[in-house]
Amino acid sequence: MSLDLDKLSALFELLAEKDIAEFEHEEGGVRVRVSRQIAMPGAMAGMGGVGPWVVGSPSPAGPGQTAAAAAAAQSASDDAAGDSLDVTSPFVGSFYRSPSPDAPPFVEVGSVVRPGQTLCIIEAMKLMNEIEAECAGTVTEIFAQNGKSVEYGQKLFRIKKA
Amino acid sequence: MFKKILIANRGEIALRVLRACRELGIKSVAVHSEVDARALHVRFADEAVCVGPAAASKSYLNIPAIISAAEVTGADAIHPGYGFLSENAEFARICAKCGITFIGPSPEAMRAWGDKVTARTNAARFGLPLLSGSAVLESAEHAIAEANRVGYPVILKASGGGGGRGMRVVRSDAEMPDSFASARREAESGFKNPDVYCERFVERPRHIEFQVLADQHGGVWTLGERECSLQRRHQKVIEEAPSPAMTAERRQAMAEVIRRAVRETGYTSLGTLEFLMDERGDLYFLEMNTRVQVEHPVTEMVTGLDLVALQIRAAAGQKLDLPDTRNWHFRGHAIECRINAEDPKSFAPWPGLITEWNPPGGAGVRVDSGVYGGWRVPPDYDSLLAKLIVHGATRAEAIIRMRRALDEFIVSGIRTNIELHKALLVDREVVEGRMTTRTIERITGKGH
Repeated sequence: MSLDLDKLSALFELLAEKDIAEFEHEEGGVRVRVSRQIAMPGAMAGMGGVGPWVVGSPSPAGPGQTAAAAAAAQSASDDAAGDSLDVTSPFVGSFYRSPSPDAPPFVEVGSVVRPGQTLCIIEAMKLMNEIEAECAGTVTEIFAQNGKSVEYGQKLFRIKKA
Repeated sequence: MFKKILIANRGEIALRVLRACRELGIKSVAVHSEVDARALHVRFADEAVCVGPAAASKSYLNIPAIISAAEVTGADAIHPGYGFLSENAEFARICAKCGITFIGPSPEAMRAWGDKVTARTNAARFGLPLLSGSAVLESAEHAIAEANRVGYPVILKASGGGGGRGMRVVRSDAEMPDSFASARREAESGFKNPDVYCERFVERPRHIEFQVLADQHGGVWTLGERECSLQRRHQKVIEEAPSPAMTAERRQAMAEVIRRAVRETGYTSLGTLEFLMDERGDLYFLEMNTRVQVEHPVTEMVTGLDLVALQIRAAAGQKLDLPDTRNWHFRGHAIECRINAEDPKSFAPWPGLITEWNPPGGAGVRVDSGVYGGWRVPPDYDSLLAKLIVHGATRAEAIIRMRRALDEFIVSGIRTNIELHKALLVDREVVEGRMTTRTIERITGKGH
């Protein structure tokens, strides 16, 4: 089995389809281990759906195969593999960065947050819902725009875990 | 007229509503679950909002999410399709409270006709024939007394819902206590309402239903009947219009009674009154569905009307300019086959990736479907893939056309019930127009 991106992509789809959390295969001097971080049930503002893929490093293999595996690992970590957490919206509603129009925002890029700290408000049907951080860390990106509507699962913040 | 309609549904009916919106110049908002993000109607809608994960309870039945989506997109009306929230009077009430028009009857009219027991009372008031039956049964003793009054065999049915749940055929006093208890248990778990009533049981009935349409200006139109006898476990498989068992006289007589009942109870929008026809050809009212039905296309084909567009226009307060349909001549014959993602023999649902999808075409063929080659059928919803509808000048022509269309229908990657439909369309009872609700059971050799 050669480690090209198309095959890896097809493999990931198959594993997701069958809801397999971990998979390991060794063939022709290459060992591949893939594990999925499954979202915690009931997580409020945490991972909204399937977590990122983590591709384990292969055992010694030809240069072409290692490069392909490394490339796959790189693209996986770009998508917040392990050290960052994407906070997604649990509701449809309007996204607000401050508790009120004149107040300063709850967080900015660079803010250090603790678990349970309010990150934003999502207003749905006239109710203000506070969205809290699930982990300790630093806000590295703010994806949603103040005052704009967000849908279920939409990315709001990225937090680099402490 | 509405500026923007939010379509609170999925699959083929969401696409159907979207098509009507496009033709009426109304903007559309598609709400969808995560697994439906690449659905056809989502791709075609003017705006799309993801309202939740796959589970229907968290998405298509999630009232706060749907209302919130309507608010953030500025939709002024919601079309509920069929199933999901379409017969939920509480949802209709919430829409009204939020200043959003619910495209359907008022919450009061929906409640009056939606509850089986009050619907029967309404029906009796207007002279709609009823199978002899009872009101809500208080106890097994009461059930036995009523069953003897009505005459065995009887069927116990749930007040709060259908689809076969909470139903038990009882043939004697000895069977009643156990059947009464288990029917109540099933009704409680299915509809959160344990109430059951009993009704005369007809061994080999035909299912005949009448389509009505009413605007908010007192206009009421009956648009003929459909026959939906070909069912499996109380789910319709094939429908047609008109019914081979109906005569013009019966149709006209029933239409008069229905018009009065609908008009005088203040019912508006689309609705369907379902009847059972016994072995003698007599009709008995069963229940009313206060929404657009899956099989509405067969009525569209024989009347030339766009029922969903009319429903939207009526909801927007327009006075519908339809002619008096009492003497309407229906045009030819239409048949619909429900193509489901299921094994044709075991009926096991068959979600998965559709690798090839080639629906039929040609003269007199219509396919209403939300799927396409490359679409992954999710396991979270019903198995309907497509409705294959044909029209012919006569019933015989329509059957030949349907057989031809089914032969062209290529689906790979998942299993479908196309083979079942082919078998049904060569069955003598079906070809001769003598089918009953027991026909499929006989053909497949499987019980209810």
